[in-house]
Amino acid sequence: MADHSNEVLAPTPGERLTNFFKRKDVSRTTVLFFLWTILFILLGLFFYPKWMPTIMSKEMKSAESIMIWFTVISAPIAGIVLAIATNSFMNMHRGDTPPEDGPAIRTHGPIVAIWTIGSLVFALVAIAWGLIEINSQAVAAASDAKSAITVEVTGSQWLWTFNYPAQGIETHDLNLPVGVPVIFDVKSADVNHSFWPVQLGVKVDANAQVTTVIHTTPTKIGAIDVKCAELCGLYHAYMETNGEVMSPADFNAWVVAQGGHTA
Amino acid sequence: MGTGVVVGVLFAAIAYYLLKNSVLTYTDKVADPLSPHDNNIVLLGTMFAWSIGFMVGIGAFIGPWRWLIGKDLTDEEILYMAGDGQGIKRYFKYCTDHKVVGIQYLVGVMTLLGVGGTMAMMIRTNLARPGGHFVTATVYNSLVGLHGITMIIAMIIVATGPFGNYIMPIMIGAYDMAFPRLNALSWWVLFTAIPVLCSAWFLGGIPTGWTAYAPLSVQAGAGMNAFLATIIIFAVSTAVAGMNITTTVVAMRTKGMKWNRVPIFVIGSTISVALAIPAFPTFMVAMIMTSLDRTFNTGFFDANMGGSGWLYANLFWIMGHPEVYVILIPGVAALMEIAPVFVRKPLFSYNAAIMGFAGIAGLSILVWAHHMYMAGWAPSLNGAFMVTTEMISIPTGLLFLVLIGTLWRGKPWMKLPMLSVFAFIWDFLIGGITGIYLSDVPADGYLHGSMFVTAHFHFTLMGAALTGAIGGLAYWYPKMTGRMLNERAGYISFWLVQIGFNVLFFGMFMAGAEGQPRRVMDYAAMYKTSNLISTMGAYSVGIGMIILLWAVIHSWRHGKVAPMNPWGAKTLEWTVPYPVPLTNFDELPIITSDPYGYGKGK
Repeated sequence: MADHSNEVLAPTPGERLTNFFKRKDVSRTTVLFFLWTILFILLGLFFYPKWMPTIMSKEMKSAESIMIWFTVISAPIAGIVLAIATNSFMNMHRGDTPPEDGPAIRTHGPIVAIWTIGSLVFALVAIAWGLIEINSQAVAAASDAKSAITVEVTGSQWLWTFNYPAQGIETHDLNLPVGVPVIFDVKSADVNHSFWPVQLGVKVDANAQVTTVIHTTPTKIGAIDVKCAELCGLYHAYMETNGEVMSPADFNAWVVAQGGHTA
Repeated sequence: MGTGVVVGVLFAAIAYYLLKNSVLTYTDKVADPLSPHDNNIVLLGTMFAWSIGFMVGIGAFIGPWRWLIGKDLTDEEILYMAGDGQGIKRYFKYCTDHKVVGIQYLVGVMTLLGVGGTMAMMIRTNLARPGGHFVTATVYNSLVGLHGITMIIAMIIVATGPFGNYIMPIMIGAYDMAFPRLNALSWWVLFTAIPVLCSAWFLGGIPTGWTAYAPLSVQAGAGMNAFLATIIIFAVSTAVAGMNITTTVVAMRTKGMKWNRVPIFVIGSTISVALAIPAFPTFMVAMIMTSLDRTFNTGFFDANMGGSGWLYANLFWIMGHPEVYVILIPGVAALMEIAPVFVRKPLFSYNAAIMGFAGIAGLSILVWAHHMYMAGWAPSLNGAFMVTTEMISIPTGLLFLVLIGTLWRGKPWMKLPMLSVFAFIWDFLIGGITGIYLSDVPADGYLHGSMFVTAHFHFTLMGAALTGAIGGLAYWYPKMTGRMLNERAGYISFWLVQIGFNVLFFGMFMAGAEGQPRRVMDYAAMYKTSNLISTMGAYSVGIGMIILLWAVIHSWRHGKVAPMNPWGAKTLEWTVPYPVPLTNFDELPIITSDPYGYGKGK
């Protein structure tokens, strides 16, 4: 007969979990995990809104949201990685001889599986977010097409020219009425440029002989900067101009003052 | 080398004379004595003639020539080519010994990094304040382009050049590389590209950045020829080196070194060069087509002649995206080799590491058009390229898992190579997260072409890959020079570089988010704080790098003599003495386990 008197009962899953978190390295890593995660969330919420210029269109809003919220959802992953690295760094061994060997952990199936599935879910969230956003922009562009004004943008070394065919004017300043969808038909007179009305958050290359198109709707009155975002030779840095999003009345007055006609 | 230079210059002079005075000119000589097209023919011909002449002069074709006349090299001649007993002279000749080639690559890489770094300092100096005119616009644009291409070339060879040649054959227990003469060929062909690249400065510079987008590159002046010739020559070198390294690892592993016992650095380097083999030829093709546009007016990339700049952009990025992983993977793999040694634990999940590398390499050939979301080329494909690009975060995540799994519950021995592991984790994490925004099309609509992109790829290429290579240098330095790298200088340099680097590119993320385009020589006053932060960080990096360079040079002569296995590692390169014998091993070792058998318990 076997003697059962000295047998130790196997710990329950709950006890194993509690014991796991009682281990010094685990508890320290857990604290570090929360610190790093919170830090990354704060970085995302604080820096990007502070740095980015005034939001003057839905496209700009969506660019900013992606930067903020992708930082926030990657924060826990960054938190795990940095917590383990920091904990390890704090455990460092100094001296001229190597430390004692650590535990011979070759791999850990469940951890690898959870990590892989976790990154898959993360990637799918990022993909879904992007696809939904692309789709909603495309739908909006299609439904707005009728009421939109068209601006023909020509990039040349090193100047932007804007032609408003319906209004019959050509200028070097990009003025737009607020709340009216706008279609930019972009082309180049020479090398590649990239048309970037900064506060509107959209961008497209200007190529010779072909027209590329982007849509947006300015949602706020204010100044916009137009820049070139593709290296185009000597004075690329100076290929910029100004513009303004104005009330429809001001816009019409500006068109008339330029010698054009209101539609 | 002396003969090489003489014959190279001679060939170049002959080609220059012939091309300029007679052949191959098709424009009306009377109306236009030397049109730009003719000038481009003359310059390109001269540059290629220099390269071929140098290779003839240095004796690269002796072997094939002897084959042709039916008298193969004798054993003494083969030993002579391997530089047997020739001391320092063998570093200056066509030497087939892989260890000599490794040192040649190391010196070449450090030279290129030094030149590229100096250009980076000049760029940041010009950008220190708005309206700064430290250099002229022409010089500034040339600095941007030549800094880019110099660093790209340096980074492609930074780990697989020195360590892939010197260390890797010993790691797998081989006498030498599979094709020792091709090994020498790959280095010396690359060497001939360096003066060609430098000649860009004397021909008026390049205005295009390293991406060399057409039609700007077709319109560009004479300096552009130097860029085109450099890439074509460099592509030959990488193809030769890539085939050689891949064949060596496939065919020359010693007895018992099954695929699951190969050190992870060898796996990473092999995947990296195997990825380069299909990727780089498209770059070469793009450069040849640009050359034809510039010499014979073929109009491949000229929309006014029925060509397309988008064709160039596609060819370029089909190379360009795999290329960043060609750079990244060996750096990560070096750190994965280092981490188990200093933590005294097995590498966590060897299989996950391989799946990570293989997954990245496989996906990286399907993501190129994420560089072209805003090109207007095929907007309906943007979604598809976004899917493949975001998927790369899965194998990339595995690389992080392998490193943190190795660190978990270990006590890391805090030496220079190990510090690089920690720096890598931080830098690559930042580079990775910012990459996720850029890969999402709507965010790229704002960020594309801005300083944000520049900061992102410096975090991955410099923060991750260069940090990995510096870790590798600190780790293998004792085996390559017989001396220990000066630790104090190493630590000072490490912290100056890492802190400076993070400050530098924090400022650049800020400038990009604020809306500053990249590659600009001047900016509006609203970006002055972010740019000043960047420039201050850059000087710290610069000082740190000079200290590292001093340490590498000084320790080579005066460092503490290294024991055979200073880190107590288990890979084969630590079982051979310094200087490593010509054939590495008297008798090839037999392998019975992988090199990560650290640890208590199992």
